[in-house]
Amino acid sequence: MEKYDVAIIGGGSAGLAALKQLSNLGKQAILLEAGTKIGAKNISGGILYSKKPNNGRVINVEEIYENFLNDAPFERKITKYILHSTSKDKVYSMDLTAAHDYQSNFGCTVLLNKLNSWFAKQAVESSQKLGGGIIPGVHVHSITWNEQKGTSIIQTDELEEFEVKAIIAADGVNSEVADMVGARPKFTPTQLYQGVKVIIKLPEDEINKRFGIGVDEGAAHLFAGDVTLNHIGGGFLYTNRETLSVGAVYHFDSLLSNPTEPYNLIDALLKNPMVSEFIKDQVPVKGEINKGLPQEEQLRIRFAVAKLIKNWNEIRGAYLSSSGRERLINSGKYKTVEDIQTALLSTQDQMSKTYGVTFGTDYVEMEYGAKLVPDGKRCRMKKPFFKNILFIGDAAGRGVFVGPRIEGLNVGIDDGVRAANAIARALDKDDFSEKYLGEYYSQLVEESPYTIDMKQIDKDYLKIFLDAAKDVPRDIIGSRYGPILKMMSSGTLRGIAIKFANILGYERLLPIIESEDTYVKVPMRLAERLGTSVSSSYSPSIPSIADRIAKLNYNDDHKSHIKVLNSNSEFMKEMVTLCPAKCYSEEGEKVVIQHEGCLDCGTCSQETEWRHPRGEKGIHYQYG
Amino acid sequence: MVFNIKSINSELILLIIMGELNVAVIIKLEPDFSEGNVSYNPDGTLNRVETKNTLGPHSAIAAHAAFYAKVMYDAKVSIGTMGPPMADLALQQAQQISDAEELHLYSDRLFAGADTLGTAEVLKTGIEKMQGKMDIVFSGHRASDGETGQTGPQTGWKLGFTFLGNVISYNVDLKTRMIRAKRLISLQGVPDVIEEVEAPLPVFISIDPTYKSSFDTVSQRLSFQKYQKEATGRAENYKEYFKVFDAQQLGVDKTLVGLPGSPTIVYKVEKVPKSTATRQAEIVDGSNHEQIKKVVARMKEALSAMVIK
Ligand SMILES: Cc1cc2nc3c(=O)[nH]c(=O)nc-3n(C[C@H](O)[C@H](O)[C@H](O)COP(=O)(O)OP(=O)(O)OC[C@H]3O[C@@H](n4cnc5c(N)ncnc54)[C@H](O)[C@@H]3O)c2cc1C
Ligand code: SF4
Repeated sequence: MEKYDVAIIGGGSAGLAALKQLSNLGKQAILLEAGTKIGAKNISGGILYSKKPNNGRVINVEEIYENFLNDAPFERKITKYILHSTSKDKVYSMDLTAAHDYQSNFGCTVLLNKLNSWFAKQAVESSQKLGGGIIPGVHVHSITWNEQKGTSIIQTDELEEFEVKAIIAADGVNSEVADMVGARPKFTPTQLYQGVKVIIKLPEDEINKRFGIGVDEGAAHLFAGDVTLNHIGGGFLYTNRETLSVGAVYHFDSLLSNPTEPYNLIDALLKNPMVSEFIKDQVPVKGEINKGLPQEEQLRIRFAVAKLIKNWNEIRGAYLSSSGRERLINSGKYKTVEDIQTALLSTQDQMSKTYGVTFGTDYVEMEYGAKLVPDGKRCRMKKPFFKNILFIGDAAGRGVFVGPRIEGLNVGIDDGVRAANAIARALDKDDFSEKYLGEYYSQLVEESPYTIDMKQIDKDYLKIFLDAAKDVPRDIIGSRYGPILKMMSSGTLRGIAIKFANILGYERLLPIIESEDTYVKVPMRLAERLGTSVSSSYSPSIPSIADRIAKLNYNDDHKSHIKVLNSNSEFMKEMVTLCPAKCYSEEGEKVVIQHEGCLDCGTCSQETEWRHPRGEKGIHYQYG
Repeated sequence: MVFNIKSINSELILLIIMGELNVAVIIKLEPDFSEGNVSYNPDGTLNRVETKNTLGPHSAIAAHAAFYAKVMYDAKVSIGTMGPPMADLALQQAQQISDAEELHLYSDRLFAGADTLGTAEVLKTGIEKMQGKMDIVFSGHRASDGETGQTGPQTGWKLGFTFLGNVISYNVDLKTRMIRAKRLISLQGVPDVIEEVEAPLPVFISIDPTYKSSFDTVSQRLSFQKYQKEATGRAENYKEYFKVFDAQQLGVDKTLVGLPGSPTIVYKVEKVPKSTATRQAEIVDGSNHEQIKKVVARMKEALSAMVIK
């Protein structure tokens, strides 16, 4: 049997950071990832933060990848952070840039397919020199122990089994490792949020203009109020370089008690007039082909129009982007920006004159995706280890989730480094006992300022929200919050109140903070009373869920990776509505699955035998 | 001097003991009719000049088979093709797949109009010009643009190598310099019979379209990743590995190439591989399934007359 020092299971941003750190420390590790390619299975919102906590220290992305700021394909650094309360056409906006800047060096938007493959590139070289590396397309399905030697034997669907001294489980929120070894129970709906996201194409210059940002700036817009369709959670719109990420993140419990199709939650956001205006673009509309023409001629026209539209999209995308223009001119294809413009106009001309293509207003959706998000306040593993396995990132249920703040990426990276440090220490002493490895890692994680954020309310962070809301009439805020707000507006009282609240425990306070009042009612009242009217010049043609799924890339597996355990339970019945890919339907009394469109989101995992697809199978995201 | 055994990895020691493996692939550039690559003139008519060319799909499979040797035996891979100057694109694509260290393009007006035999003469001469003595030469099953699949067998025949057709998997024993290969054949009307053969190197392999490399251990996958990355780096700078030969540089016999070297005799496809393949092949085993066992028995019977043990 082949032997290696360390196996990292899962190549998301957490696992990759662990590999990079182990390699930095001169330790051999292999990383196994189920997707065909690193990044293919990962999806986020997402803003990746670099933080500077007042107390304690975290390892930031630019420390573990020194060339991150110069080289990494992140999208835009966020410079504007705005919360919108919505009710029909009314929107009330609050600038919360201070909340974004709070204890942070920067926060940049990212698309994980691109970013994670860049992380992998940085980690793999040094790792290969140590006899390790990254192996994509491999799905781990079981772990056993050689009790005598204290080593683990890893079995996969694809490879011969092999032996390792220690394991890092970085296999995400729906961790099979946790499940197969019994390290923790599956997360429950109370501990989870469901995130659904679409990527929308928009030329770079348009984004800059529309959001009032420069080439190196970015905007984050958050939404609460009627766009939530009465759920706890909210919507977001983040600017990437040449795309927008628009998503909806809702508390799973709240979805179960008021079941709504996840795509309807996204659609509610897209239909909000402010969002519609944000995402709109010029789109070509094909003319009718004369049915009287010979079949061959009709076909020729169809091909020609498709080709022209493809060209138009390419030239336009490049013409309306700083790097695109530069690329085209450097390639020698065009001499000046005017030349590119001329080419664009002439293509446009030809489209309309020769083929009757017209130009209208709509939006262009590129990718639909979904995944569960663990709420670290409620589900972080208190002791994130089992024997010689250390759990990191989403797999350990670790994420900071406070109001609009979702931080899983930076937490996973920090965890990865801590786990790598603990394992390096164990390798040096050749001691992988729970006491020497697990407990030590647990202690490192407990010291992480992120863990503090998962345990306590941060009064200074809270103050930013209170300050932003200080001019809001008290009756809008409601009887429930009025006295709290009043108390909180005084510095000393706030200090005492928060201390008291923290003694009471975060968990007990959550129902008050994370309630329909906070996410739905108060924002709606705010919008109605103080908001301004926004109108949209068009109504976006939103694709059906079937069209969205049809547009995704899958590598089909003939056999289903998910097995329904109880086909007539209440929970499974809700899945018919709550599966974001509409994989479930009811046949008679029974709920049945058609796994082909599955997004591996994990929403149904609670009452199914839930596995990720075998290596290379299933969904393959292009953006993530 | 203290000899530090640790600094030499075990694979390298094995290589030193057993000798290296040199493999070559012969490939072909073909028009790409896949969606989005067909080009149209501004008026919507087909643009034949701009329609992209690409590495033929069967050639790509042959390149994958060569890459298997790279990953498993640290083989040195060379690629050759006969074609117009723009065929360098196909070489680059094949290099990206196989991590080749040597790319040959045989390009000359004299070669124009060659049929498969004329092409085979050029390829054979080219292969003999590659660095190192070839142990295995791979070719695709056939081209998708009308070629009938004879170039491979004929090149093998001209090289004097044992020919193995329709190979779906293989393994090499570097010590004994023997190759074991599985072939997909049809036997007395029974399709998809798997025949396992053993032959001494060198061999010429025509790869079956269903060929797929499989790497089953962590170390194989790690090498796979390492060499795949190396291949990407090499393919980005493919010109460094690239050489063009005209007829004179190649030193081919002009009567054997191009139109003069093309007798245009119609060969029957099955006859060519069978007569050469059976010369030195030894039947080893079928597949384990009961059903197939019976077929294998019949296969043995049918082939026994032709096997030289
Ligand atoms: C809509 C949405 C918005 C979000 N917004 C933000 C944000 O703005 N900022 C932020 O910081 N975070 C955000 N998050 C959270 C963040 O995306 C996650 O915390 C983070 O991506 C988790 O990384 P990870 O490496 O722990 O897990 P993952 O990225 O889930 O990686 C796990 C990997 O393990 C692989 N795997 C699983 N099982 C196996 C197996 N058995 N064998 C082999 N491989 C396996 C999977 O294929 C996958 O690649 C958001 C999440 C969502 C869904
Ligand atoms: S089948 Fe389950 S895991 Fe797959 S998309 Fe639907 S809810 Fe998510």
